[in-house]
Amino acid sequence: MREVAVIGIGQSVFGKLPQKTVAELGSEAVAAALADADISAKDIQVAYASRQYNAWCTAQDILKEVGIRNIEMVNVENTCAGGSTAFRGVWKEIADGHYDVGIAIGVESMTTSPIAGKMITPEKDDLDGHLGMSMPGMFAMVARRQMEQHGATVEDFAQVSVKNHRHGCLNPQAQYKKEFTVEEVLNSRMICEPITLLMCCPNTDGAAAAILCSTDVARKYTTTPIRVLASTLLSGDYKEFQKDITVSPLLEKISKMAYEMAGCGPEDMDLVEMHDAFANEEMLRYEDLGLCKRGEGVALLRSGATEIGGRIPVNPSGGLLSLGHPLSASGIRTICEIVLHLRDEAGARQTPNAKVGLAHMHGGVVAGLEHGIVAGIHILAR
Amino acid sequence: MAEVVPVREGILVEDAEGGRLLGNKCKCCGQLFFPKARFCFTCFNKDMEEAVLSRYGRLYSYTIAHMPSTHFQPPYAIGFVDLPEGVRVFAPLKMTEGKPFKVGMDMEVVIEKLWQEDDKQVIGYKFKPV
Repeated sequence: MREVAVIGIGQSVFGKLPQKTVAELGSEAVAAALADADISAKDIQVAYASRQYNAWCTAQDILKEVGIRNIEMVNVENTCAGGSTAFRGVWKEIADGHYDVGIAIGVESMTTSPIAGKMITPEKDDLDGHLGMSMPGMFAMVARRQMEQHGATVEDFAQVSVKNHRHGCLNPQAQYKKEFTVEEVLNSRMICEPITLLMCCPNTDGAAAAILCSTDVARKYTTTPIRVLASTLLSGDYKEFQKDITVSPLLEKISKMAYEMAGCGPEDMDLVEMHDAFANEEMLRYEDLGLCKRGEGVALLRSGATEIGGRIPVNPSGGLLSLGHPLSASGIRTICEIVLHLRDEAGARQTPNAKVGLAHMHGGVVAGLEHGIVAGIHILAR
Repeated sequence: MAEVVPVREGILVEDAEGGRLLGNKCKCCGQLFFPKARFCFTCFNKDMEEAVLSRYGRLYSYTIAHMPSTHFQPPYAIGFVDLPEGVRVFAPLKMTEGKPFKVGMDMEVVIEKLWQEDDKQVIGYKFKPV
């Protein structure tokens, strides 16, 4: 297996952009990634694109805008981990030696999707969905258990949102560049007790792209290739086997796989970008990813360690909470953020002397299965 | 009169005291499932037997939702109830005056009309504080 590196990253504007087509959003990210890598569109040999809603020929539709055609293109869907899936697809193509250079794209136009401004309608056979289950409802019930088992308070949940919004203010690409206080988060509209509106990620349009290359060939294009130490993607189990809803059995498995593959542990991470669709989720993932021991996620948050300038900054980009969550784009956008820090190009939100970073993406609710049924973890190093 | 249909076939049985939920059990390893599984997720055995589940359980978690769902207008409550045989059931909860929800409280299953679907009355299960 060959070592693979990221040599180019790009992102579109994130926001509510119903006037922009998927091809426009996607090609904005692709053009930025090509320019960043200083590589010609003609050098791209393989492309994977991910999109959740109304998807067909997403890669072909986007890449026609920049002149990329007549190459192998694959389109994938894997809910919030779609971007991670596309990235891993290209990684495998290159690691296995099929190609030397490829591009991974994640894109979502949430405002023009069938779920725009609506709830996600459950499938006919989704019994729990018909009985009132929803994503915010699930995370609210998880939050209740965090309060019960780990002594978390609603102020802690609000604090995650406060932190990530503060981080987002330092990111020119964030959808919401606005600071909030704990009181403002708690006083925002109640969605599912104790989850308030400002503890939920917004619906967002946007795209992200990454250009991958075998490390030996990468020297031709850049002096700062960012090496992919681990690329992992995994699906979870039936709900019967998730005894504690504050623990993701899937993440316990996949994070172990990722650290083993990377040959390092959570203590070696300089920063982490993760799925914070709901504020309380971030504290769960601290534990699932091994950033602290089980039950100590609350303490880790309160210590300030996960803020920019802390021991292990989490979501320095602003996270899904402030940056927004174009579902399939987020898995690649998080990787782009890690790459920026590893190149020392993250500006005001830079993690000092960052050498290794982890990008996590996680999602998917399927009746009968553990919640958050698919996850991707990538570990990158300079 | 409107036809009465269960929210899913074979998921509940009505009795003199209201009703009970129906799950199933693997005849090979004893693993219980609710709703019923077509085969055992542990040992892949297809030989399953119906299991009448306990009427009472404990509240594992809950939330009061302030956004509409497909069939319910806010506010409505949902939660997970752990039954003594080791099955966790997701269900709508009945809000009861003077009995605020609390993790660990005793809950009882109730069978009642959940919603109207065209000309059919859909009945299903909820849990309420004992």
